[in-house]
Amino acid sequence: MKLPLNWLKDYIDPKLKTEELAHRLVMAGWEVEAVETVGEEVVLELEITPNRSDCLNVLGLAREISAITGKRVQYPKVKSYKPTADKISISIEDKKDCSRYIGTLIKNVTVADSPGNLQVRVNSLGLRPISNAVDVTNFVLMEIGQPLHVFDYDKLTGGKIIVRRAKQGEKIITIDGIERVLDPTVLVIADEVKPVAIAGIMGGKDTEVTLSTKNVLLESAHFDMALIRRSSRKLGLRSDSSYRFERNVDWQGVLAGADRATDLLLNLTGGQLAARTDAAFVTKTPVKPIQIIPEQIETLLGLKVSLAQVKRILTSLDFKVSVKADKLTVNPPSFRSDIKETVDLIEEVARTIGFDHLPTSLPQIKAKNLTVDDHPRRVKKTLRQALMACGVDEVVTVSMTNAKDLNKCLQKDLKQVRVLNPLTVDQELMRPSLLSVFMPVVIGNFNRGQKNLRVFEIAKTYSPQGEKTTLGLLLTGSRYQDWRLSRKEQMEYSDIKGVLENCFCALGVDVSFEKQGQMSLDESDGSILTVKGEAIGCAGKLNKAILSNWDIKHQDVYFAEIDLEKVFALPAKSVHYKPLAEFPAVIRDVSLAVKKEIPYGAIEKLCRSKGGSILVDVQFIEQYLGDKIQPGYKGLVFSCLYQSNTKTLREEEVHKAHQSIIQAITGEFGAILR
Amino acid sequence: MDFSQLQQQAKQEAQDITDTKSREEYRLKYLGKKGIVAEIFASLSSAALHEKAAIGKAANDLRTLVNHLIEEKSKKTASTSIKPEQVDISLPGTSSVLGHQHILTQTIDEIVSVFEKLGFVTVETPEIETEFHNFTGLNIPLDHPSRDSFDTFYLDQQDRSAQGRRLLLRSHTSPGQVRIMKEHKPPLAVIVPGRVYRPDAVDASHSFMFHQLEGFLVDEKVKFSDLKGLLTEFCRRFFGKDVKMRFRPHFFPFTEPSAEVDISAGTLGLARKKWLEILGCGMIHPNVFKAVSYPSGKYTGFAFGMGIERMAMLKHGIKDIRLFYENDVRFLKQF
Repeated sequence: MKLPLNWLKDYIDPKLKTEELAHRLVMAGWEVEAVETVGEEVVLELEITPNRSDCLNVLGLAREISAITGKRVQYPKVKSYKPTADKISISIEDKKDCSRYIGTLIKNVTVADSPGNLQVRVNSLGLRPISNAVDVTNFVLMEIGQPLHVFDYDKLTGGKIIVRRAKQGEKIITIDGIERVLDPTVLVIADEVKPVAIAGIMGGKDTEVTLSTKNVLLESAHFDMALIRRSSRKLGLRSDSSYRFERNVDWQGVLAGADRATDLLLNLTGGQLAARTDAAFVTKTPVKPIQIIPEQIETLLGLKVSLAQVKRILTSLDFKVSVKADKLTVNPPSFRSDIKETVDLIEEVARTIGFDHLPTSLPQIKAKNLTVDDHPRRVKKTLRQALMACGVDEVVTVSMTNAKDLNKCLQKDLKQVRVLNPLTVDQELMRPSLLSVFMPVVIGNFNRGQKNLRVFEIAKTYSPQGEKTTLGLLLTGSRYQDWRLSRKEQMEYSDIKGVLENCFCALGVDVSFEKQGQMSLDESDGSILTVKGEAIGCAGKLNKAILSNWDIKHQDVYFAEIDLEKVFALPAKSVHYKPLAEFPAVIRDVSLAVKKEIPYGAIEKLCRSKGGSILVDVQFIEQYLGDKIQPGYKGLVFSCLYQSNTKTLREEEVHKAHQSIIQAITGEFGAILR
Repeated sequence: MDFSQLQQQAKQEAQDITDTKSREEYRLKYLGKKGIVAEIFASLSSAALHEKAAIGKAANDLRTLVNHLIEEKSKKTASTSIKPEQVDISLPGTSSVLGHQHILTQTIDEIVSVFEKLGFVTVETPEIETEFHNFTGLNIPLDHPSRDSFDTFYLDQQDRSAQGRRLLLRSHTSPGQVRIMKEHKPPLAVIVPGRVYRPDAVDASHSFMFHQLEGFLVDEKVKFSDLKGLLTEFCRRFFGKDVKMRFRPHFFPFTEPSAEVDISAGTLGLARKKWLEILGCGMIHPNVFKAVSYPSGKYTGFAFGMGIERMAMLKHGIKDIRLFYENDVRFLKQF
């Protein structure tokens, strides 16, 4: 909202420097976004909150400035015009849509340029002066906030005004020259045959006032705020009028606006008042008086105020206040439709005193009724710490993705939640997995030459079943190596597995990695993570097809995704102390050759089942895949740890247990000792 | 075996030690796992019974001698001829690298920790919301211009709790208030951090996804002065004790009176003479209490909401909101 200070001075002179006035306005809730100088004019650009449509005009702000400064407002002197015996034909189809329509017919006008002082006012709003008739409507709109329209009366077929819903497919060319196709959700002003204006939003080209117009019909009306808002959005058409109507226009201001404009039109166009008709329906129940006692203010603000002080503040804002004993009965003015109950009055008092003058205290925060399950938050925190300790950086990616990226990740079959009104097609879907939002991060960094990435995110993924907290982890490029080692090695499956093992170790959760095909993952390098037999996620090398879809050529990418809702459901880590071993352990290394396809895990599992109670651990040492072994075989080295918590083990006991392990693995897997 | 000859040999060879390398070779030759002393001990098992004691003693003597010779030699090398290996202490340390927490989650953690120390409880509520929680329960009617600042993404999902209405992505964290108050009676002191969504075109200061933190305190006799006091305390702890701030009236449908809080740019070391808006707040509107079926007039409370990105940008001098979501590792590794 533009507030030209010269114009303001027609009604009130705050006698303040611009900077001080701006500061006082800000501290009373009128945010000054800019101070502009247009020629001779200083114009404040104000942000008016949607509850205060009464201040979308210069007089409204003059009233506020009066309350802040104590200076009085000089209202312009306006004649009042009564409805005439000669009627204008106004019919209103639904009084809910239009609760008041004042038509004023002025005949024998001379449409010409406005006088200089009116042009100055119009210019100060950043508008172009058009003609005396049109400029008057813009001037009155900005002076008192009542939107107005003037029709060329002779172009209204039948001389009639009909306020009705548009018919399906009905068309109108608005004064901006654009043809608009209407439907029954839109309210129009029509004559006998056609719409002549989109009610409350914009007039029609056919009936606009031109230099040749002889007779003018002035419209001052009140339209339903929600209806205007919906129509304006639907048509994608906003105007100074619609902006005010959708924020609500003062029902009583309809007459004030008609009178002020009639006055000016008669003066400036030399026309004569031919007819005035006021089609009014009082649909609103009169506002009930609001009661307030100063103690209520103290209770809510912590500030002691006197009865007299409250009365003075509210009166300065044009509220009618009567005092009985310790109670005030308050009638807000008709233009303050935002004032409905006692708290609204308390806000007026607080605002006028200034929030900076209100006291400050520290609240008493008592024991809460609310007990929160903090487990999920602790899990997330633990995971974050573990991941960072593993050298993984946290990312925050957008929650939306799109069909193209899902396709590139081979994830188009995942169940999707669609955004009905996305800004761009790039954000048409809620991400069902973190993969399709991680890949752009990878590409973005690759493009900047950053090829070694270790990233994770803990955030939501979405499906028609709802949203769930998910951990995504992605590793690519060379493993971190310190300078003592010369060779850079690419990360591989064991790197992502190691990070995940650390995570679950920190959570105290026993997780197994099982081989299973997963669409996005490479067949040989992919695994499903399970806890107590239930799948909670997957980890592995991304499928070659995905890499080629994203144009990644020279390096592998490892990705893991864990459903944290399933992890949250697991019991929290609880550790029971195990007594430290008192007796020495015996270690026996095993070095063997087995067929390449036999997984080490199966051998370890067999060892554990055959080692008896004294086998306390099996530790992997190394794998040999070179050519110094028979073809099709690999070398494995691991150690078996034997220990008892009741005695020192004898050689024979260890030997016996170890032999049964060796027999089992040579027998079952055809392993050859090396 | 001629043990005295072995001793002579050991003495002789000790003369040839000139540096740490030759000293280590010498040590291994005599005392290593497969060294001479170990060999002598190994031969014990096959030795005749009456020889065992003598052999054992001889082996021990040899070990003592070799150890002595090495020690002598080491002392000498320390003082004169041999230079010990120099450590270049300017080389980088070696350890596994640490990952970096994203500055947004760090900021959330920091703000959450301030409020938790002041007695607030953290609750996370869903991003996919109903119109009731996001709007109606917060005194934001349908088709009302107060919805303008809360433009919303709608989803192709039906709201099972409201016939014919669709689910949406919350446009602020305030629905947390309604959800929590619906389930719990006061006293309540709760913060709700999380992601929010608005169809804003992306530029340096706008994003269609960002983060907020909502807080509210409801009890009997909570006052506006408490709100001022609490937020002043928060700003001191988050921005530093010299922070200059102001409360100015504003409008939110769900609070009355409503305020916005600004901090002075000078406080952040910025030269510009300017106030920077950091959060919105106010006393919870009676209609919100009505929506969650609290008895009329029994409770008062305040609520506040702040943008995490904005707090992080102000505190760390980040000028472009898009940096948060681009995840350039050069950005990530700065925090």
